Amino acid sequence: MTATATALDLGDIQGDILRAYGNAYGRTSYVFVTIRDPTGGRDWLRAIADRVMNAAPWPGAEKPSCAWNVAFSAPGLAALGVPERVLRTFSDEFLEGMELRAKVLGDTGSSSPEQWDGGLRHPHVLVTLNGLGERELEAALTELRTEVVRHGLEIAHEEHAHTLDGAREHFGFADGFAQPAIEGASDDRAEGGGVPLRAGRWRALAPGEFILGYPDEDTRVDPQGRLPSAPASPLGRNGTYMVWRKLRQDVALFRRTVAAAAARYAGGDERLLRAKVVGRWEDGAPLVSHPIDPGTFDATAPGANAFLYGDDEDGRRCPLGAHVRRSNPRDALGFEGRLSFRHRIIRRGMPYGEPLAEGVLEDDGADRGLVFVCFNASISRQFEGIQVQWLNDGNVFGLGHDTDWLLGGQNGGSMVVPGATGDDPPFYLAPQGPFVTTRGGDYLFVPGLTALGAIADGVTG
Amino acid sequence: MNATASLTTPTTATGTRPGNRDGYAIAITVFSTVKWWGRAALPVVFTVPKIAPQTISTLQRLSFIHFARWSLIREIPYNGAPQPEIKLRHPHLYFESNFNGGWEEYIDAFSHILTRGMWLFWGSSYGFPKALPTGPFKAYIKANEMEASHFYSAYPQATATQITRALELDELLADLRARAADMPPDEFAAAFGTLMAEAQRCC
Ligand code: HEM
Repeated sequence: MTATATALDLGDIQGDILRAYGNAYGRTSYVFVTIRDPTGGRDWLRAIADRVMNAAPWPGAEKPSCAWNVAFSAPGLAALGVPERVLRTFSDEFLEGMELRAKVLGDTGSSSPEQWDGGLRHPHVLVTLNGLGERELEAALTELRTEVVRHGLEIAHEEHAHTLDGAREHFGFADGFAQPAIEGASDDRAEGGGVPLRAGRWRALAPGEFILGYPDEDTRVDPQGRLPSAPASPLGRNGTYMVWRKLRQDVALFRRTVAAAAARYAGGDERLLRAKVVGRWEDGAPLVSHPIDPGTFDATAPGANAFLYGDDEDGRRCPLGAHVRRSNPRDALGFEGRLSFRHRIIRRGMPYGEPLAEGVLEDDGADRGLVFVCFNASISRQFEGIQVQWLNDGNVFGLGHDTDWLLGGQNGGSMVVPGATGDDPPFYLAPQGPFVTTRGGDYLFVPGLTALGAIADGVTG
Repeated sequence: MNATASLTTPTTATGTRPGNRDGYAIAITVFSTVKWWGRAALPVVFTVPKIAPQTISTLQRLSFIHFARWSLIREIPYNGAPQPEIKLRHPHLYFESNFNGGWEEYIDAFSHILTRGMWLFWGSSYGFPKALPTGPFKAYIKANEMEASHFYSAYPQATATQITRALELDELLADLRARAADMPPDEFAAAFGTLMAEAQRCC
């Protein structure tokens, strides 16, 4: 079983997929480049190809000052000359792109594509730059911009993101540490990050859930050893799909709404109400294991993330509609997690914009939010499954059409916070305007380095 | 627009063809050709309750599936001209089911949770690849699935789970309503609180 896992070709897989650069790099720039003609585009790719970082371990503490990674939209691949018969081997949702899937994703009203940032509407190539500091990042940006101009291409959009103190997102919660455990890459995180088994045991997920060309949770049990569907060789090996979404957060509205609701909740306990909305306290302590008080919680300690919802079926500790319980229900759907284990994503988001000063309840008009990034082998099954079935609708959880209250949806989320004990009545969080608005994004393909070379050389088949 | 989108077949948000949807309800209809031994085996699977009880009880626990029905078609009923008379050389398995949620999640539940049951029902059909892995099973279902020409739901805005819950709540409410008329306000407030606490336990 692990024979396949140990064979993960780290030297050929792009580095930002399996490694959380956010832990090492404080600044990330996302640069969208438009290809004008295939030859110029491929020349440019060849010029930057050797900067692109793979997933091989770094020797000692020596980090590159800036890590480069590259991803392509379907029109981007077409613009670089990838032939139609090769493109047809990619997944339907990737070929359609995020904009055409807007209705599916709930990107309507103020989140609809007509409202998106112009440069994010038809992206071709995304270059992600992770810099140790501002100076390193600026140097890489200058180099990238120069190469783009030199090859007659254009920059359509730049988004600059950076970690906030304490790895918080703008609403004030610690974010990004709950990640899937992957065989051959992060087996040590299986407890809490993998698939729960009987008797408190866990196992890591098959690598093909996140990297194309390897067995996934489906084919790992296939006696014929067939591999999951993937783009035609050489593109289908060591690559993956990436979801990039710019999500604007209305921090003032979120603060005002929570404060007003908390005035009616549990003696005005706003901290507890915030925790109920996310399913974790602001410092990350899970409500299931820390129902009364966060105590002292270390998100990186072994087993910190190893909790289940089975003992909290009614959601008295962690509400059924809490963000983390919806987005990764673990065992909450019953059947030993077999209705949820195929809907996992690697999240690599990063906040953008300056934080709203503490205590401010009026919007200052500044643009801030989360650049939501995730990696998965099937966008429709994994990312869209979570977004559409779990966050935008509540039926599988017995929550009717309640949408995630933290994100708010177009008509605002709605949520029931069950009473802590049997006799306490539930508390209702009424629908609000959206706290989170989509500003643009796309579905991208992240090739392995060999495949990147093939795209740059125009020999994809 | 996006030129590469023309390379795909449009499906709805739930991963099924438009004709199979009415609001939140989704229909799935699958025909498969049955091998000679299925003609004898399937009626036994359908009628002997001891053979598939686990499948049936598990199906009932999957609340997003309203119902699932397999039947054996031995002949096509003839209603007179202009309908051509069709003689079936092989019997066909006719599967129909309604559900809420997504098509992929629905088939995944069949593969991962009702694995043995799927073999019982479809094992005698030509081309059935086994329920696991799900990739070939989904391809098999897709290839044999028919888009409904007419599909109707009485409550398109609700799911089956919601309707069941609403009926449960209705009983609780009717009971309170019957008692409420003579209650003084503080007693009513207490009774209403109890009802709310009770109702949240319906999950
Ligand atoms: C601005 C929007 C969002 C905010 C502020 C936000 C915030 C958070 C926070 C605070 C956590 C808990 C910390 C952690 O577990 O790492 C979390 C977890 C998570 N979020 Fe989000 N999130 C947002 C959007 C989304 C979206 C759009 C998705 C997926 C479609 C998503 C999927 C997840 C997942 C899978 C987890 C991990 C749950 C677990 O494994 O237990 N989030 N999010």
